[in-house]
Amino acid sequence: MHLLLIEDDQEAAQFLLRGLRESGYTVDHSGDGREGLFQATEGRYDLIITDRMLPHMDGLALVKFLREQGVGTPVLVLSALGTVDDRVQGLKSGGDDYLTKPFAFSELLARVEALLRRSTAPDAAPTRLKVCDLEMDLLSRRVMRGGREIDLTAREFKLLEFLLRHAGQVVTRTMLLESVWDLHFDPQTNLIDVHMSRLRQAVDRGFGKPLIHTVRGAGYVIRDEDQSA
Amino acid sequence: MKINPLRTSAFRLALGYGLIFTLGVSALLGSIYLLTKTILNDEVDAVISAELEGLVDEYRRGGLSQLGDELTFREDSWGTTGAVYLLVDRNLVKEGGNLQTWPFTGIPSERWAEFPLSARRPNDDLVRHPVRASIFLFPDGHRLLVGMDVTQERRFIATFRTATLWGIVATALIGVLAGSWLSRRLTRRVQRAAETCDAIVGGDLTRRLPVRGSQDEFDALAQAVNSMVDRLAEKTQVLRASFDSAAHDLRAPLYRLRGRLEDAARSPAADQQLRDRIDASLQELDHVQRTLSTLLQIAQAESAISVANSAAVDLGELASDMADLYEPAARDRHLALTVQTDPGCDVRGNRQLLAQVVANLIENALKYVPAGGRIELRTERVGQRSRLTIADDGPGIPESERQHVLEPFVRLPGATAIAGTGLGLSLVAAIARLHQAELKLADNGPGLKVMLDFRAA
Repeated sequence: MHLLLIEDDQEAAQFLLRGLRESGYTVDHSGDGREGLFQATEGRYDLIITDRMLPHMDGLALVKFLREQGVGTPVLVLSALGTVDDRVQGLKSGGDDYLTKPFAFSELLARVEALLRRSTAPDAAPTRLKVCDLEMDLLSRRVMRGGREIDLTAREFKLLEFLLRHAGQVVTRTMLLESVWDLHFDPQTNLIDVHMSRLRQAVDRGFGKPLIHTVRGAGYVIRDEDQSA
Repeated sequence: MKINPLRTSAFRLALGYGLIFTLGVSALLGSIYLLTKTILNDEVDAVISAELEGLVDEYRRGGLSQLGDELTFREDSWGTTGAVYLLVDRNLVKEGGNLQTWPFTGIPSERWAEFPLSARRPNDDLVRHPVRASIFLFPDGHRLLVGMDVTQERRFIATFRTATLWGIVATALIGVLAGSWLSRRLTRRVQRAAETCDAIVGGDLTRRLPVRGSQDEFDALAQAVNSMVDRLAEKTQVLRASFDSAAHDLRAPLYRLRGRLEDAARSPAADQQLRDRIDASLQELDHVQRTLSTLLQIAQAESAISVANSAAVDLGELASDMADLYEPAARDRHLALTVQTDPGCDVRGNRQLLAQVVANLIENALKYVPAGGRIELRTERVGQRSRLTIADDGPGIPESERQHVLEPFVRLPGATAIAGTGLGLSLVAAIARLHQAELKLADNGPGLKVMLDFRAA
């Protein structure tokens, strides 16, 4: 996977580059808006990560320009502003996701993975999601595990659906809060953990093999450990 | 704001002036009327007195017989001058004059008396004429009555009175009509200005009040308001730019610090002990970051002129969503979180900011209400407003402290042991102000009741 990082803060960029490369990505870097735009239009990148405030060209203007040129590469916008309308502007101008600085590297990594998965996944909307012996029917809204039906509340269903759509991938608490509740703030309580422990009770309890796993310092993942390990 | 033209100060002023003007005109016309009436009566009285004196002189000169002759001589005076005469003896029996009988029952006590006289017109119609008369008592007991037909004078006065009354009514009518026309004109101008000001308050800082160039007081006011808005727009621009750069400048070092710490933790040289210490530092950093972004959010909400990305938000739905989000956390703390919503509590606002408000209030309750307690979320329509209530049965906030706790970094004594930034309620207050919602902290007997009254969308 080939990424482009456009970030003018040299020191921060070095940490991000190292982290991303350690995670197995090939990453190019640009520290300037205009130069970054040239690279983005010429190179074949799978994902672009761009800062919002850049010398010579604003990050949002850059995304807008890319979209007008017909470049559909997913873009993750990083911003130090972090206000509500800043996020809305970021997504309106064509960004696919938005992250407020400072963020944990694990948050960035999870979002990068999610964006890459979204752009490479086949377009057809699945009607069934499956991990190991856990199966979700999106049409009848039924969840079965090992031939037994699992009763879930509407919210638990949405949570599990999000996990299954990102099966094998780490999803962060913020991602869950954003996509399941459509809320973009940082709650002080361990809200998501409480919801996840309930979901776990329903999905994993009484079955030999747990499917939902906590990833320390990052979030959660649903996967069949035997297959991935 | 809709202005009722009947309640404007312009209308009241016009009405007041109309009233004063009408009173003035009434006094003027009234005194002319009274004066005219007096002059006319005095004139009649003077004529009657002169007549009477003349006839008394005749009596003095030639006794009853000369007076009788004189009266006979004047017998047809009714048809020409409208004068009547009657001489009666002590038993009120006629002895001369052109009246047939004594017109009074008994003897009038006043010197001046009035009586109606029926007279036939040439076409045989019977007409009653008002007659004013004076009576003279001779020493021998005879009485002489001299009177004048005052039909003309009375008719004139009646007409004059009618004209006066109509004049007053017309003046009052003109006053009211002119007043309402004037007030409607003024109201329209003020209404337009008020609408523009509403739009400006609503966030459109490009709007300005119209200046007609007539140099009148409205132009002066409009120019003053416009320069105020110019200044406001300028300030807002500067403030926004400085917030943006402050946010950027404060976050950039934290961003690098976090990067450096995480990078160090990932390095293969780091042992478990170092990783744990870095983790602890990162948690500390999280707290700083959280405080900083809450502060920036408060500053932004306080300085913003309007709600960004404002849309219709169903308060009931929001309350249900938030209750759903926090319910498991509440249950973990053995607290009952319930929600009760009225339909139709739509408000205009930013859902994310309003969610932040509800979240902060619920989190406060989660922190301070002891196990076994209740937290209630409620939305309802109260008149023209939509009310969001969050009530608990925890320790509450003493009345003297309720205003104080809305200020940044204020924490109640005894609360310092509980983790928090001391900014949660300040942010709630700032977002409420931004949404032009009224925030009230009240006693829930026992516990705290926080109410937010929004203008209905």
